[in-house]
Amino acid sequence: MQPLTDAELGAFTFFASPLPHDVCGSNGLPLTPNSIKILGRFQILKTITHPRLCQYIDISRGKHERLVVVAEHYERSLKDLLKPVKPISSEKVLQVAYEVLEGLAFINRHGLVHRALSPHNVLLDCKGKVKLANFGLYYMTDQGADVDFPIGYPSYLAPEVIAQGVFQSTDPSLSEVPLPSGPKSDVWSLGVLLFELCAGRRILQNIEISQRLKFIITLGCMDDIVTVLAEEHGCLDAIKELPDNVLLLLRKCLTFLPSKRVTPAQLLEDTVFESISCLYTLYKSPVSLFSSSLRCAHLQLPDDINELCKVDGENFLNERSVDEVYHLWCLAGGDLEKELTNKGIIQSKPPVCTLPNFILEDGETFGQGRDRSFLLDDTTVTLSLGQLKNRLKDVGGEAYYPLLEDEQTCLPQSISNNELSAATSLPLIIRERDTEYQLTRIVLFDRLLKAYPYKKNQVWKEARVDIPPLLRGLAWAALLGIEGDIQRKYESIDKDTPIPTDRQIEVDIPRCHQYDELLSSPQGHIKFRRVLKAWVVSHPDLVYWQGLDSLCAPFLYLNFNNEALAYACMSAFIPKYLYNFFLKDNSHVIQEYLTVFSQMIAFHDPELSNHLNEIGFIPDLYAIPWFLTMFTHVFPLHKIFHLWDTLLLGNSSFPFCIGVAILQQLRDRLLANGFNECILLFSDLPEIDIERCVRESIILFCWTPKSATYRQHAQPPKPNSDSNGFGKTASFYSSEYQDLPNTDLSREPLKLSELKAEVSPRISAEDLIDLCELTGPSHFKTPVKRPKAVKTKIIAVDIRSNEDFSRGHIPGSINVPYSSVFGPDGELLQCPSTNTLSSYKSRVVVILSNITKHAAAFAAHLVKVNFLRVCVLDGGINKMKPTGLLTVPSPQI
Amino acid sequence: MRKAKGKPSTTEKEFVFEFKAGRNHCVLKVPLQFPVQENVNDLHGRLMLLHKIPCFVEKGLKNKLLAFVERETLEDYDREAEAALQRITTGEVDINKLSNLWAKAYTETTLEHARPEEPSWDEDFANVYHDLIHSSASETLLNLEHNYYVSVSELISERDMELKKLQERQAAEMDKVMQELGKTLSDQDVNTVAAQHFEAQQVLENKWASELKQVTGIQKQEYQEWVVKLHQDLRNPNNSTITEEIKVQPGQLSEAGEMGARVFEEHRQLEESFTIHLGAQLKTMHNLRLVRANVLDFCRHRRHGSGGSVKLRRLQTAFSLYSSSLCGLVLLVDNRVNSYSGIKRDFATVSQECTDFHFSRLSEQLEVVQQVVLYARAQRSSKQQPEIPRNGSHDEKTKNVERNPSNILPGEFYITRHSNLSEVHIMFHLCVDDNVRSANLTARDPAIMGLRNILKVCCTHDITTITVPLLLVHDMSEEMTIPWCLKRAELVFKCVKGFMMEMASWDGGISRTVQFIVPQSISEEMFYQLSSMLPQIFRVSSTLTLTSKR
Repeated sequence: MQPLTDAELGAFTFFASPLPHDVCGSNGLPLTPNSIKILGRFQILKTITHPRLCQYIDISRGKHERLVVVAEHYERSLKDLLKPVKPISSEKVLQVAYEVLEGLAFINRHGLVHRALSPHNVLLDCKGKVKLANFGLYYMTDQGADVDFPIGYPSYLAPEVIAQGVFQSTDPSLSEVPLPSGPKSDVWSLGVLLFELCAGRRILQNIEISQRLKFIITLGCMDDIVTVLAEEHGCLDAIKELPDNVLLLLRKCLTFLPSKRVTPAQLLEDTVFESISCLYTLYKSPVSLFSSSLRCAHLQLPDDINELCKVDGENFLNERSVDEVYHLWCLAGGDLEKELTNKGIIQSKPPVCTLPNFILEDGETFGQGRDRSFLLDDTTVTLSLGQLKNRLKDVGGEAYYPLLEDEQTCLPQSISNNELSAATSLPLIIRERDTEYQLTRIVLFDRLLKAYPYKKNQVWKEARVDIPPLLRGLAWAALLGIEGDIQRKYESIDKDTPIPTDRQIEVDIPRCHQYDELLSSPQGHIKFRRVLKAWVVSHPDLVYWQGLDSLCAPFLYLNFNNEALAYACMSAFIPKYLYNFFLKDNSHVIQEYLTVFSQMIAFHDPELSNHLNEIGFIPDLYAIPWFLTMFTHVFPLHKIFHLWDTLLLGNSSFPFCIGVAILQQLRDRLLANGFNECILLFSDLPEIDIERCVRESIILFCWTPKSATYRQHAQPPKPNSDSNGFGKTASFYSSEYQDLPNTDLSREPLKLSELKAEVSPRISAEDLIDLCELTGPSHFKTPVKRPKAVKTKIIAVDIRSNEDFSRGHIPGSINVPYSSVFGPDGELLQCPSTNTLSSYKSRVVVILSNITKHAAAFAAHLVKVNFLRVCVLDGGINKMKPTGLLTVPSPQI
Repeated sequence: MRKAKGKPSTTEKEFVFEFKAGRNHCVLKVPLQFPVQENVNDLHGRLMLLHKIPCFVEKGLKNKLLAFVERETLEDYDREAEAALQRITTGEVDINKLSNLWAKAYTETTLEHARPEEPSWDEDFANVYHDLIHSSASETLLNLEHNYYVSVSELISERDMELKKLQERQAAEMDKVMQELGKTLSDQDVNTVAAQHFEAQQVLENKWASELKQVTGIQKQEYQEWVVKLHQDLRNPNNSTITEEIKVQPGQLSEAGEMGARVFEEHRQLEESFTIHLGAQLKTMHNLRLVRANVLDFCRHRRHGSGGSVKLRRLQTAFSLYSSSLCGLVLLVDNRVNSYSGIKRDFATVSQECTDFHFSRLSEQLEVVQQVVLYARAQRSSKQQPEIPRNGSHDEKTKNVERNPSNILPGEFYITRHSNLSEVHIMFHLCVDDNVRSANLTARDPAIMGLRNILKVCCTHDITTITVPLLLVHDMSEEMTIPWCLKRAELVFKCVKGFMMEMASWDGGISRTVQFIVPQSISEEMFYQLSSMLPQIFRVSSTLTLTSKR
C-alpha cells in the first residue's frame, strides 16, 4: 500500500439491510447477514491502489448490521471548488476531468463502477490532485442490493440508471430489481460534475427529487443537452465562453444514449485532452513479492544518492503505509465508533425506546417506528492521528529505518532500545497491543520481507521473538520458504471443472470456522472452494480428507486477497508437517504417528500415560483431528495463529510436544476421570491457555532427544536442491531428523506392531553420543546448537549383568542389572541401585542392553512406577561397540 | 434473495481465437456465459490447460480474451440500459411512478433527504435521565423516587384497609341476613343484599383506582418536570434552585413490610448459578441461573427499604434503563390482551404499586398493543389472501383469528416497558395455550418458537438478562409429575441452548445471563434434580485452579 504522506484517515458508516425473518438458504442453513456479505466483498478493494484513488483500508462490523469503512481521506473536495462564484479556469476543469477519468478507468479495469460520483466524493490532496473516494460502495453492496438506501446522488444519476429503477427497501416483492450499471454511467455523472465546475454552481438543487429525475429523463428529447442545462440554470453565457475542447468534453460526457457515450478509458484517449495528457504518465502497480519479474527492475536512483538521505521534516510516520498507520492508530486506543459518535454521525437511541409492541409466531415485528438513527449519513469523519503521533513522539528515526546489515542487533539502537528489549519479555498478548513495540516490529519485518529471500535467515531469527500480526501472512510464507511466481502457477490450475470431491468440500466449508466474519462470508466460501480444489487437483496422489478445510482456514484468513499465496503456503505446509497424511489409505502413517505420540506421553508424563492406558483412552480416540488438522479443528483462529507462529519454527516432531502440552493442561481432570468423562471432555475441548501451551511445548521439545520421534513414514530427506546460497542454515530446532545424513548409528525402521508394543521411545546411538558429550574418533552429526537443557541431564543406565558391564561400557553410565531391580509384580525393589536410579529421576534415562526386549521391558517397568523421560537405545549396546567409545574402568582399589 | 430474480438472463457468446503453429492454422472456439462470473485469468489458465495451447500464444490469447470479455460486457450493459430507456419512452414504465419510487427511496433512507424529525419528548427525557442517573444527582433522584413510592404505598395500604373494612362489615351484614333467611327474609332478599355489597365494593374500588391514577399521574408529571429542571440546573450551576438534598421519608409501613420481606426471603432461597461456554472453536461465556421463585418476585419491590440492598437494586435498574444492557422477563399469558384475570391481573397489581415515571401505564400500553394486533392482522390477511391455507391446523388458526381478530395466538407475544419494577425493564407476554400442560410438547411447539423470537428480540434490542419460566408454567398442578417436569426441563434447556448458539451468529457472541425460573411449589429435591441436569446439557466452564502442581 502507498505511504500515508499528507493523507488522513477517514471513516464512514452505513447499515446493511436486515434480513427477512427466518428465511433459510438453499442449503438449509441460516442466511448470511448482509453485513457479512459486504465485509467479504470489501476485502478485494484493499488491493486496489492507484494515485487517483483513496486507498481502502479496513471495514468493521458493529452492532445491528452497522458497518464502518476506513479509507484514505482528504478534507478538501470539489465541493470546495464550487463555492466561489467565479467559475474555474478551463485548464483546471480539464485537469480534474482527466484525473477523475484516470481513476475511473483504473477501477473499470478491476470490474468496478463508481456509481456514486458527486462533488464530495472527488477529493483533492494538498497538491490539488484528484482522489476518488467511495468508489467501492456500489461494488461491496452488490450493486446496492445489500443496503436499503439507493447508491448515487439524485442530480448526478445517469438517465439509464434512473430508468432501470431502484431497490425497494420497504417491499422487495413489488418492484423489479434494477440491473447493474456499466462504466458509462459514471461518465454522465462526471459530465454533470464538470458542467457544475464550468457554470460555477450546483444544478438541479432547488427542485424536488422526483422532478429532478424526471428532468434528467426528459433530456433525452433534447438535441443539445449542454445548452438546455445552461439555459435552465441561467449560465448560458459562461458556457458559451468555454474553449472548444471543454465544450466538446461536456458534450461527450452528457450524451444521452449509453451506446453513443464513451467509456472512461476511451475518453482518456480522446483528443480533447491533447494539451494535458502528456503531463501524465501511466501508473504501474508495484511488483509483488512473489512474481517472475525483477522487483527492482524499475528502480530509479537519483543521480546524487545523497538526495535520498535528505530528511524532509521529522514526520517519519507519514512515510509508513496507510494500513500500518491505521493498525497503529487502533493500537494506540483508536475507536471508530467513538469517533463517529463524537461527531454525531452515530446517534443511537436507547434500545428500550425502540422495542416493537407485538411479534407474530414467525418473528415478524409490529409497532416499531422507523428508527431515524438507521438512516444513511454519508459524511466521512476524519480520524485524528493526534493521539497516535503523541504516543510515538519519542520514537527516534532509527526505529523507522533500522539497519539490517548487522546480523547481531535485532532491534534498532535507539534511546528506547532498553525499553523495547524489556518489552520482549512481556506476554505476547501485551506485546501485540503495544504501539511502540509493534511499530518497531512492523518496520523491521516489513524491511526484512522486502529483502526476502535474501534476508530469510534474519526473518527466521526475528520470528523466534514474535511475528507482528499485521504481517503474519507474509512472514509465514517466508518461514515456509515460498518462492517463485505463485500467481501464475495458481492460475494454471483448473479450479472450475467439477470433480467428485466437490460435494464434500461444499458440505464442509459452511461448517469450518464460521464464527469468523471473513470465512463465513460468501466471498470467503468461494475462495475456500477454489483453494481447496486447487490443492486437490494439483496433488493427484493425495485425496481430500475432512480436516483439510480447517487446515486451509488460517492460510486463507491471512491471505484473503491472495489465494495464490494461501494455496502456496498450504502446499508447503502439508508435506512438512503432514507428510502423506492425505493419502487415500493413510492408516499406516496415522497409526505410526499416534504410536509415537503415545510414547511421547509416556516419556514426558508417565503418570498420565499410565492412567490413560488403564482406562483405555488411547490417542486414536481423540488425537486424530488434532494432528490431521494441526490443531486447527480444535482451536479458534486467534489461538491457532499463536500456536503456529511457534510450530512453523519447529520441525515436524513439534506437534507431538503440543499434543502432550495440551494433555498436561487438562491433566488434573483426566486423572480424576474415567473413560466416559474423558470422551465427553474431549468431544468439546475445554478452553486451553494457548500461550502456556506454547511455552510448555517448547520445554518438552527441548527435553526430547531428536531421534525419539523418528518415524519411518515421515517426509524423506529432500534432495539438496534448495541450498542455493539463500538457503537457511539449519538451526537445531527447525532441522528435521530425517534431513540429517543417515549413518550406521541412526535409527532403523521398526514394524508397526513392534513399535506399538514398546511403551518408551527409542533413541539413536548418535543422539546418545551427542547428548552424553562423548568424544569419539569421528563426529557423525554436528548440529549447530545443542539445547543446553538436555546436555547434563541425561543418564545412561546399563542393565546388563555386572560382568558384561565391567568388560566395557559407556563412560558415565551406571549399571543396574535387569534382574536385581524389579520384584515379581513389577514393583521397584529397595536396593542400592534403585536408589541411585531414583536420584536421577528428573534426567533423561537411556536404557542400554544387549537384548532389546529386555531394555524395552525394563523401560516399561520404569514408566509403570512413574519414571520420567525413559527411553531405550536403539540397537542396544551392540550399536556402540564399533564406535570405540566403550571404556573399561580401571579396577577399583 | 432479491437478487436472484432480477439478474439479467445469461447469454452465451462464442469466443474465437486463431493462431498459427508452424504451418497449421488453428482456431479455438469457446462458448462463454455472459455476464462472466469467473475470473478471466483463471479462465485463461483453464483454456491453456484444456486445449493444450502452445505457450507462445499465451499472451496473445490472454489479451484477446480480456478484450473480448470487456467488449461483450459493455455491449450487454448498453443494450440493457437502452432497453430500460426505451421502456420509458414507449410508456411501458410510467415515468412519474418511477421518479416517485426513487424519491421515496431517498426520503426514507437517507438523512440528507429525510423529513426532519419531530422532537420526541420520550427520547429527550431519556437522554436527560440517563445523564442524571450517571451523575452525582443519582442519589437525589432515587430518594425522590422512593418518596413518591412511599406515598403511593401508603395510599395502597389505605385502600386495602378500607376494602378490608368494607368486606368485614359486609360479611357481618351477610351473616345477619343469613340467620334471618327463611324467617323474615327470602332468597331474593339475600340476593339483593349480595348485589348491593358487590356494587358497593365496585364503587369503592373504582374510587380508589381513579384516585391512584390521579396521584400517579401527578407524580409522574411532577417528577418529569423536576428532572428536566434539575438537568438544566446542573448545566448552569450558578442559578440553581433545587440543590438541596431530598431526604428519604421514613416509611410508616415498616412493621408490616418487614414481615412481608421475611416471607419473601424464605421463598427465594433456592438459587444456583452456572457459568457456561458455548461454541465449537470460539467460545462465548454466558451465565445461567436456576431459581425457585414466584415470577412476580422479580417485579415486586420489597415493601420496606431495609437499607442498602433494595436501594442498590433500584439504582442498578435505573442505571441500565436507557443503557444497552436491559433485563427482560417472560410472562406466560392467555390469548387475550388485557389484565383482568390470573397472572395478568397479579402483574397489573404489582405494576401499580409504584408510579412509572418513564413509560405510560400498563393499561395504556395494552391499549396500544391491542391496536397494533388489529393492524398486524389486517396486514397479514391482506398479504395472505392469494395463498390457500396449507393444512388443517392452519385452518383452525385462521378461524380462531377470524372469530376475534384482537386475540393473539400461541407463540405470539407482546412487549411492555416498565421503569418501576424491581429487576425488570421489559416484559414479554408470551401467549400459550393448554398444550403446554401436555406431556409431549415438542421443540416445534409455538411456545418454544415464541421463546426463540423473544431471544431474537433480546439480540436486536440489547436485552442482556432474560428470565424464562423453565417449565413453561407458572403454577404446578396435579398432572405435572416428576417425569413430566424432567422431560419439560430437558426440552427447554436444550432448545434455549440451541437458540443461544444461534444468537451468537446474530450478534457476534455477546455474553448474556439467562435465568430459568421454576414455580415455588416444586420440592427442593426436584430443584436439585433440575440443577444437576443443567450442567449435563450446557458445557459448564472449568473452575480455575490457582494452585496447580505442574
